[in-house]
Amino acid sequence: MTATQTVIEIGPFQLALCLGFVCLAGATSFYHKLDLGRDLFVGTIRTFAQLFLMGYVLKFIFDAHYSWLVILIYSGMVAAAAHIIKGRVKERSIPFVKPMYVTMLLTYTLVSFLVTGVIIGAEPWWTPQYFIPMGGMIIGNSMTAIAIALDRLFSDLKSRRAEVEMKLALGADYREASQDILRDAVKAGMIPSINSLMAVGLVSLPGMMTGQILAGADPLIAIRYQIVVMLMIVAATSIGSLLITGLVRRKCFSTAQRLILR
Amino acid sequence: MPIILDRVSFAYDNGPAILTNASLTIEPTSYALVRGPSGAGKSTLLRLLCLLEEPQSGQILFSGTSVTDIPPAELRRSMAYVQQMPTLLEGTVRDNLRLPFSFKVNENLAPPSDTDLEAHLAKFLLDGVTLEARANTLSVGQSQRVCLIRSLLLHPKAILMDEPTASLDADSARVVLDKAAELAQGGMTVIMISHSETTPPGVTHTIRINDCQLEYV
Repeated sequence: MTATQTVIEIGPFQLALCLGFVCLAGATSFYHKLDLGRDLFVGTIRTFAQLFLMGYVLKFIFDAHYSWLVILIYSGMVAAAAHIIKGRVKERSIPFVKPMYVTMLLTYTLVSFLVTGVIIGAEPWWTPQYFIPMGGMIIGNSMTAIAIALDRLFSDLKSRRAEVEMKLALGADYREASQDILRDAVKAGMIPSINSLMAVGLVSLPGMMTGQILAGADPLIAIRYQIVVMLMIVAATSIGSLLITGLVRRKCFSTAQRLILR
Repeated sequence: MPIILDRVSFAYDNGPAILTNASLTIEPTSYALVRGPSGAGKSTLLRLLCLLEEPQSGQILFSGTSVTDIPPAELRRSMAYVQQMPTLLEGTVRDNLRLPFSFKVNENLAPPSDTDLEAHLAKFLLDGVTLEARANTLSVGQSQRVCLIRSLLLHPKAILMDEPTASLDADSARVVLDKAAELAQGGMTVIMISHSETTPPGVTHTIRINDCQLEYV
């Protein structure tokens, strides 16, 4: 990346100034009895702690430059995403976490590898400066899609049970009986990613691009990175949610092709 | 070949027992009426027969083979189950009647022509319903008959009907009951849940579910 200007560093004084603004928000909350003081306090502390921790971890990983460490951190990020999805999806009777984690790990690793190794051409492909943030963006964005798709899959299989069983009773296999439901679920998960493709540059300036520009990159280079990231997010999201909803749907039916989910 | 329930036990998850070691043989030429108190498991019995529920123990044999050894799609095609609440999809009456022919297991069957479908509709006193009519404009009674026709188009060996006349007016109910008797006479096994006190014409057996057991009365 060509630096067109030097990055202006944010020092402790500037950070403290920001804290002052948060205190102002806290005071407003107190004055209007919004009862947000505690959340604001915890949120601020967590932002500081988590980001400082992440900063040091990233610095350590970048300096260490071990492939196993990068893969380990990456697997941990996918595991965290799987855990968050598990929390968002309310259904508990179908064991979906394991197939979901394995599929996420394989799909995202493949897509992240394509981005860093093939498209960007980082040498080696797991170069942490590229692999971790790119992978993180792919995981973070498609995580939401998978959570929405799974939640929709489960709730539709329950609410449209009569339709599924009607088709089964007429000789449909479980795939045929739940084809419409699967399609609706994957679509519901994909809509936010597709919308973001429509809105980018007009409504939203994505964080990564903004970050690169702030760090001194040429906007024309920054947008190329952003294009790669957005397309890869959509690709990973569609492949991931299709595979995962497909696998999880199988688990909603018994071997006798009976809808187990109630 | 008969339908045999051999020491079948079933309960829904965390629910009370519906059947406990229940055994019963239904002869192929039977027109059996299923009776029993509300919640006794009449619908569950039909759902067990077409494998929409699976027994916790015991086995169900259809034509001498355990239903679990028959590919589910094939079993359900030969043992047609017509739900209590008719379920039609968005689209026309024709789309709904042809739906089963879009499934893999039925791909060797020729889809019925419009003339066939219209003849079926007429037989069930649905002359006023066109094939182009939107399925969601039909009354519950009309939908119920369309669902019945849809199942019969697959030429099943047995038909399981869950209170098919519950939402029909007297005339339409009579048409459905006459049709059931005709099917039974033609050699099809007919198993029908009924709440009505009167026994429809042609019924050969009455099965009673009580205290988790099945018996002929």
